Amino acid sequence: MSNGIDGDVILRVDDLKKHFTPHQGFLQSFGKVRKVVRAVDGISFEIRRGEIFGLIGESGSGKTTTGKLVMKLIDATSGRILFNGRDVTSIGHEETKEYRRQVQMIFQDPYASMNPRFKIRDVLEEPLEIHRITADRKERETRIVRALTEVKLTPPEDFMGRFPHMLSGGQRQRVATARTLILNPAMLVADEPVSMIDLSTRAEILHMMKDVQRDLGLTYLYITHDLSTARYFTDRIAVMYLGRIVEMGKADDIIDHPAHPYTRALIEAVPEPATGKVDVVKELPISGEIPSPSNIPAGCRFHTRCPYMKPECKEEAEPELMDLGSGHYHACRRWKEIG
Amino acid sequence: MSETVLQVKNLKLYYHTSKGAVKALDDVSFDLKAGETLGLVGESGCGKTTMGTGLLRMPTPPGRFEGGQILVEGRDILPLPEKEIRKDFRWEKVSMVFQGAMNCLTPVYTIGKQMMETLQEHRSMEKAEAQELIKEYLSYVGLPADVTSRYPHELSGGMKQRVVIATALFLKPRLVILDEPTTALDVIVQAQIINLLKKLKKTFDLSFIFITHDLALEAEVSDRICVMYAGKIAELGTNEQVYGGKGPAHPYTERLLAATPRLRRKVESLSFIPGTPPDLIAPPSGCRFHPRCPRVYERCRMEEPPVREIEPGHLAACWRCFE
Amino acid sequence: MKLEDAAYRLKEFWGEFRKERNGLVGLGILIAAVLAVLLEPLILPFPEASSRWRDITYWQDNSKSAPPAWTNLFTARKSAVALTLWDSRTEDRGPGEKAYIFSYDYEFSRAPYDLLLRGEGSGTIPLTVTVRRPDSNAVEIIRYVLQDLAGQTFRLSFTNEGKANALEFLRKTERPENAAQIATMSYGVPEILFSRAEPDFVKGPKPLAGRYEIEVTAGFTDPRASIEHMEIVVVGRVSGILGTDSMKRDIFSGVVAGMKWALMIGLLTSIVSVLVGVFYGITAAYFGGRVDSVMMLIFDYFISLPVLPILIVFSAVYKPSIWTIIAALILFFWVGPVKTVRSMALQIKEETYIEAAKALGAGHGRIIFRHMAPLLIPYSFASMALAVPGAIVYESSVSLLGLGDATIVSWGQILHDALGSGAVLSGLWWWVVPPGLLIAVMGMTFAFLGFAMDKILHPKLKTR
Repeated sequence: MSNGIDGDVILRVDDLKKHFTPHQGFLQSFGKVRKVVRAVDGISFEIRRGEIFGLIGESGSGKTTTGKLVMKLIDATSGRILFNGRDVTSIGHEETKEYRRQVQMIFQDPYASMNPRFKIRDVLEEPLEIHRITADRKERETRIVRALTEVKLTPPEDFMGRFPHMLSGGQRQRVATARTLILNPAMLVADEPVSMIDLSTRAEILHMMKDVQRDLGLTYLYITHDLSTARYFTDRIAVMYLGRIVEMGKADDIIDHPAHPYTRALIEAVPEPATGKVDVVKELPISGEIPSPSNIPAGCRFHTRCPYMKPECKEEAEPELMDLGSGHYHACRRWKEIG
Repeated sequence: MSETVLQVKNLKLYYHTSKGAVKALDDVSFDLKAGETLGLVGESGCGKTTMGTGLLRMPTPPGRFEGGQILVEGRDILPLPEKEIRKDFRWEKVSMVFQGAMNCLTPVYTIGKQMMETLQEHRSMEKAEAQELIKEYLSYVGLPADVTSRYPHELSGGMKQRVVIATALFLKPRLVILDEPTTALDVIVQAQIINLLKKLKKTFDLSFIFITHDLALEAEVSDRICVMYAGKIAELGTNEQVYGGKGPAHPYTERLLAATPRLRRKVESLSFIPGTPPDLIAPPSGCRFHPRCPRVYERCRMEEPPVREIEPGHLAACWRCFE
Repeated sequence: MKLEDAAYRLKEFWGEFRKERNGLVGLGILIAAVLAVLLEPLILPFPEASSRWRDITYWQDNSKSAPPAWTNLFTARKSAVALTLWDSRTEDRGPGEKAYIFSYDYEFSRAPYDLLLRGEGSGTIPLTVTVRRPDSNAVEIIRYVLQDLAGQTFRLSFTNEGKANALEFLRKTERPENAAQIATMSYGVPEILFSRAEPDFVKGPKPLAGRYEIEVTAGFTDPRASIEHMEIVVVGRVSGILGTDSMKRDIFSGVVAGMKWALMIGLLTSIVSVLVGVFYGITAAYFGGRVDSVMMLIFDYFISLPVLPILIVFSAVYKPSIWTIIAALILFFWVGPVKTVRSMALQIKEETYIEAAKALGAGHGRIIFRHMAPLLIPYSFASMALAVPGAIVYESSVSLLGLGDATIVSWGQILHDALGSGAVLSGLWWWVVPPGLLIAVMGMTFAFLGFAMDKILHPKLKTR
């Protein structure tokens, strides 16, 4: 894949696949053939240094699995993940630890991602302990204070002695961000970092994350189902459907001029706070729900729900990502006719 | 408009905790006409869900009614004995789709069995007849009849939510309270469910109370919007009054609307409301929103604004709006 | 965890615990039990009860099968209470002769079984024992010469040594027509000494209450002669707080001495086995897969072993010491918490913060010990408390069958002796009830504590 825009690539994912074999009992394994869940089914993308890259999809699209694969929390079935040009899918224990120092993760649930028995100080000290950054108490303290200041939890001393449950959702997500920053990572994987935070304060957290990203020159892989925040927050997005990327490009470009019928449907379905729609039944271009990843339709995997489906969509091989120019990729063979 | 289905008058509902009374609903009044959808919006912890369970007269312990009236078809339900409530009122006149209810279906029973149980609790009818009824209602919500023999884990989130909605409609209630019915669903499924609700409302001549924290969603379903803040009504107006060109009256609604991300508009910066909703054991003096309000002035800190009509059918509780 | 942190949590815990009434009762009893163990030397009427429980000579001067002293409160006819008179007044009676005078207030209806003169003597000493009664009669009851003692203990029983003298005293007042019955009557020396000197004694003695003086006159003509620690033992019909058994042992001393063993067996077994079980469970859950399968298979074997039968066979064959019994109990008890811990750990393992720790680069050890184990501490405490009664009861069961450690006193052993001597049939309830009740109470105490802790600390019930 060629680079549309200049800038060096920090993370490159190459035909990455993750297939789960459901756990079966001893006796069951004699029965029917095991159904393989193809959670991630051959995706490729590149993230440039200093970029915010959004991975958009419904539940079951494989976006969270992709995040975990990049974090090496689970092992890939096949494919490569190149971090700074180096394949990290098959590295050893020590190298994985070093990799995790550079690539950090923010989780969706700010209530669950911190040990409830740890004080904020302990939460932030843990990465320093794990990576044996420094044994000096004062030096650690300075780093913790700096990280808390970075995420605008001030004065930091007020927060260090508290337990996570004493903080609001937004504050916890700040602490979670501070915990990742303390190791000076190069890249952050943020899996729905604001979806559990009240709408009224969501933007505040996104602002903070963006500020941090600018200040420290970080790269984000931002995973979400929410197109609205993605448009504001990200530079480029990739839309996933059933384990594949169906469209990828600049956020504004994709939302204003979607090429793939799935992306169109997604955009169509987002409600808009404007009057005069109460008595209107919204026209939805697609029906039904996302099929199970253990039973992916043949041909173009979207054909079962696609309003523009033609026999060839079902019969011919799945379309690969095609470049529309200016780095806007899509995977629909009929885009010209429907555009 | 047509007859009034529900009238809430000065309702007070407090949670009594060891630290004091949490005034979850403090002097709330509104009414609801037949065939109307009233939206309840606000941040988490502002009393939306309390209102929902309160209207069914089953406040979550340690909640207790501390005053006011809930008139359903003109009859106050607060003093009625529990037996009568169960026989004539709950699920018969007013039913509810609880938040996350679709994840609360019992995993070990089939959908049919669970729906049958609800039905038999209230109606004595032949099993075959009941099964027919269940199938009929499943078809109303767009599900095939064979769903009855399936288990919850075999259904998708959207299908489960449809089952829950069908169960809420069984006994032909006049009013259905929907508490965040689409929050856990994907955006396309959410749109499908909203369409379904609109269709059902017409078919059964229902009234809805639609509880959500998402103002954008509220705009698509509710005839009137009731914005709640810290257990009180901040603003109550028609869809046009809240979302129309003039914009909402109350600064809280205004800020909330500004914080709602919009897909179709490119913005450089999203706005947000700094701070958190207040502690309802000891709410701030004067207007409860004043510590977070951008338009606060002296009077807001001292006096609590009453809920007043600022134009026909448009209520607000803000000193600025009265000027 | 840091110290202030622990203190804070402890305070928080106490605040909750105070509201659990059962827990408080349990804690109260536990504190009392620990105090009893710590203050044992001060409480025990027979200080060597623990080490000489099976030494008959240590107990020989006690009454046999005597009910507790407080049973007097419930009867009109009071029985003489077991007592040792060790306070005496000394008077010189001419050259080489000394009198030791003991005072005894007799306020009972039923005379003691016997009186004993006890002391340590050296040389050859002629002794005379005279009882001065409140009715101003004096009975010279014993004349005895201690021969060539070298500091050893001498014991003179009034019944054995003074029968002739006592009968002679009786005959002075008794009607001649009753003389024949004197030889066959069931009343002995104590009855004669502590009853009114009236005719018709043989038909039923009437007690003579008041102050008795027992005067022991000793002759010290032998240059080596000396007497130390002289005392009069009243072998009462009722004895001590909990009476005595048929081997004359003081039951109160026995149960108090058994307390420390009960606590130790209970606590040691539960602490060690819960620690083992908890880490076994966490390890199985954390590593999952094959490790889990193998560990659970081993667990299944252990849990399906019938504890008591094996323990009995084992004890019968090896005659184990208490330590071996504890070790054997641990071998069976560690399975207790495994299943619950494993399922809890499986849940904790799925928590996002475990994943977050992994994403930070944390290793297995860190995740198990820093993140998972602390969450299971509350459950561990609760299950420790709940394992205690089981351990106590099992030890008692083994002892009850006569298979316990013979060098210690445990409640089970006391019960075993009681049943073996037919205590239940002969109505010696004070021998059976206290150890049985204590086993139950100790079990209940820890169960109360366990339930209270479980309620407060169980992570599932606790809001995060």
